[in-house]
Amino acid sequence: MGLSLLAPLALGLAVLGVLPVLAHLARQTPKDRKAFGAMLLLERVVKRLRRRRRVKDPWLLLMRLLALAALFLAVSGPVLSYHDGTPEFGGSGRVVLVLDRSASMTMSDRGSTLFSRARADAVAVVGSLPEGTLLGAVVFDSEALRLTSALTTDAASIGARLADVAPTGGTSNLQAALHEARGLLGGEPGEVLLFSDEAGPRIVLDAHTEIERLVELGSAVLPRTVRPEVVRNVAVVSAHYGSGIEGGTVTLRLANFSDEPTEVACEVTLPDGATVPVFVDLPPAGEAEERITVPPEALGGVGRVSCDDPAMSIDDDRYFHLPRVGASRVLVVDGDPGDTPLRSEVYFFERALSPWGAMQSGFRPDVATPGGVLDVDTEEYRVIVLANVGDPRPLGPRLTEFVRSGGSLVIAAGDNVTADRYNAAFSSVLPSPLRRSRALADRAEQGVPLGLPDVQADIFKPFQRSGRAGFSRVRSHRVMTLEPYAESEDVRTLLQYEGDIPALVERRLGSGRVVVWTSTLDLGWTNLPLQAVYMPMVQRLVTVLGGDTSGGAARLDGLVGERIAVPLPDLAAEPDVLGPEGDVVRSRVEASQLLFQPKTAGAYQVVLPGSPPLAWVAVNSDPDESDVRPYHTVEEAESALNPELFRVEYELGTVLLGLSGLLFFGQALLMTRRRRTDEA
Amino acid sequence: MSWDPAVLARIRHLHLRARVLTDSLLMGEHRSRRVGQAVEFADYQEYQPGADLRFLDWKVLARSDRLVIKRFETETELPCTVVVDLSADLATGQTGRGGYPDLDASKAGYALTLAATLLFYLHRHGEPVGLEIVAGEGCAFPSLPPRTGKNHLQQCFVALASVRPAGRADLAAALVRVGSRTRRRSWVGLITDGMEEPSEWLPALSAFSRRRADVRLFHLFDREEWTLGFKDASVFYSPEGGQELAVDPVGAREAFAEVVDEYVTEVRSGVVRWGGRYVPVGTDRAMEDAIRRAILDGMAEGSWA
Repeated sequence: MGLSLLAPLALGLAVLGVLPVLAHLARQTPKDRKAFGAMLLLERVVKRLRRRRRVKDPWLLLMRLLALAALFLAVSGPVLSYHDGTPEFGGSGRVVLVLDRSASMTMSDRGSTLFSRARADAVAVVGSLPEGTLLGAVVFDSEALRLTSALTTDAASIGARLADVAPTGGTSNLQAALHEARGLLGGEPGEVLLFSDEAGPRIVLDAHTEIERLVELGSAVLPRTVRPEVVRNVAVVSAHYGSGIEGGTVTLRLANFSDEPTEVACEVTLPDGATVPVFVDLPPAGEAEERITVPPEALGGVGRVSCDDPAMSIDDDRYFHLPRVGASRVLVVDGDPGDTPLRSEVYFFERALSPWGAMQSGFRPDVATPGGVLDVDTEEYRVIVLANVGDPRPLGPRLTEFVRSGGSLVIAAGDNVTADRYNAAFSSVLPSPLRRSRALADRAEQGVPLGLPDVQADIFKPFQRSGRAGFSRVRSHRVMTLEPYAESEDVRTLLQYEGDIPALVERRLGSGRVVVWTSTLDLGWTNLPLQAVYMPMVQRLVTVLGGDTSGGAARLDGLVGERIAVPLPDLAAEPDVLGPEGDVVRSRVEASQLLFQPKTAGAYQVVLPGSPPLAWVAVNSDPDESDVRPYHTVEEAESALNPELFRVEYELGTVLLGLSGLLFFGQALLMTRRRRTDEA
Repeated sequence: MSWDPAVLARIRHLHLRARVLTDSLLMGEHRSRRVGQAVEFADYQEYQPGADLRFLDWKVLARSDRLVIKRFETETELPCTVVVDLSADLATGQTGRGGYPDLDASKAGYALTLAATLLFYLHRHGEPVGLEIVAGEGCAFPSLPPRTGKNHLQQCFVALASVRPAGRADLAAALVRVGSRTRRRSWVGLITDGMEEPSEWLPALSAFSRRRADVRLFHLFDREEWTLGFKDASVFYSPEGGQELAVDPVGAREAFAEVVDEYVTEVRSGVVRWGGRYVPVGTDRAMEDAIRRAILDGMAEGSWA
């Protein structure tokens, strides 16, 4: 607020203002001195009179001074100018309405959301503008969208389109919105009415350049800000997994954007559906961190942290990546136990999986006899290995169901394996029916070596850097042959001996797999257990087969409304993006990247039908949107550029003249009353 | 010892005034050597001619045909002390010229005359009288304990005639000091203008009440001062020093009257509370009235106006 004078010289008359002061002070000091014997009483009287005059006289003086001051000010033509946040609009005849539909606008306040209030205001403004006004509309979150391609006089259409706009969970990109508004104005001056909460630390700062351009253009950005009555919001601003004791910890950070301390009930949901409740105490306008311990075993995937906050629900969930945690449980069915452990069919396999125990290696192999499998709950296992099992027919239906429900079955050959029995037991799931046992070389000879594997395959990825050559040292002198089969998406030969003899063949059935190792797991037909590649290959085989649902999938993070690019391997088919609800999200492939723009927060996965996800994407709302506190305002930014826009001027001359007259009258009344009192 | 002629003249003047006033007080009164009333029987005494027949025990006469007089406790000697405040403030009043106070006009003159009259009157009743002068200057013997005899009375008169108002009374300390010297069950006449904070000096009256002394406070005032009966605005000051105040008497008169009333009420209630009797004495009133009210009529309280 400021005061300027049209005739400042008139203030020179203010010198006259000293007159009442002098008159007030001109009380004659008595010359006569008198000895007085009752000074005690006189002092009391003087104190009493001073108390009374202290009230009476200063008021008189004040009234006289104020009366004169008001008179002089009135003569000097004062103009009061003050800052008003609501300038008139519509005068330019070119108006663009910009409506914020970002996440922060979903905040609940007095029974409605900020967005619904802003939208209603925008629709009302459209209806109130003079007929013939050229109108445009832009809505924005992380991107700005024109509701009309150009300015139009069709107010009804604009109002209807605005009324149909819904809020999103996106980030506020005011800069883009103002850019679009400037585009709609087409380089001509106009007015941009902004319906937004202007909340968050960056929204206005980032848009400063666009505001500047609009002002240079002769346009004005007129904010019609919607603010909650009480600013409060609690949000989960981050969540991430870190390894540690047991299954590691998920660290979640919550922020309280109000001035009151609060306690929030949260729930951490792991990818396997397990939930961990936690209460978090939040200080006023501060953050708090909480850690929850992940169970020793947990499925990999995308987890979720949810907190209970009535103010704004869109940021109450935060998605985070969780790798597979804990040991993979593997059931090894020993078809040839032998009389000593060393002679056991699975001796090498078991030790290759768990050389130092399950806790250290991440695998927990349980060994069972073929007969014992019937008593085992196969749902507890992700991988079942049949090692040289003679007659699998009793297990056939159960293991077939196991595979169809997502489990993986590894069949290793051996002297006990009979093709007919296996074909009978697993006819519907085998990559190809087994044919017969075939000698490749004499036992005294070295045997047929393995060919080098394709290191792009999941199982052989660990050998990308080194060790691949080790496969050539693996030799077998006998294998189980398969009926001829055609390579396809579902049936693949992962490894073969020289001479194109299949060594490792895989068949995919949904998320379940059947892998046939055509040789033995022990030294019966091959020297593989003694080779350096044995342990990493076996571990990797079980890892990939063993239910790490993310497998080798990429893990990415993204924000609602922002474009997410997923790098793709060379694929024959274009993968789909599945949203949190399992629906297919629109996407496109561009330069070996899959691009999509999520509209809501959640766990997105990039999948090829019938295969594990290629990528997991945890999509969350922008934490800046959760900060609903006002920081910088458009009004401030624009006032700095165009101070006159928000300034209102008011001439005070007449008011002050009237006030002066009143004060003079009042002081005269007061003086008369006092004189009467004195006379009495 | 050389005497100031002015003092000698004042002694005679005082003596004369005291005697005249006493005579007027005693006019028509049966002369008795005792002050006070009989309250408690003590013993019998053989009747002597001239004794008051009111105290003749008629029952003893009827039974044994003997003339005996009943004696009472109070008929013993009553030590009387007159305490005079002669602080500088008492030089004010209608005259405030300094030097020896005008016995006719100033508050100090009135106080001295009243003291002399009380002493003479009490002496005439055969009581031992004493004098305590508080503040003032020029007096060689400001403290004279109660005694009988003309010479002692004369000494009191000399002290009264030679003192000039000066200094501050410091009533609280002075009353405690005098009270500590006062005999038990004595009579004390305190003549003062009381122009010190009452809440400070009134409690000092307890020094007398503890000795069961009969205190009469002659509260001296000048009517013109207490009614602020001046016309022109003046700078008022106290001869005792302190703050000077420029006051328009016309404007302040109403408030001053309220203050005087509150002050008198405060002093009166204080005196009564500490067992004394309050006698307001305006210098414009006849002194006999004050003495009669204080001693003969036994009236203590009364309006100063």
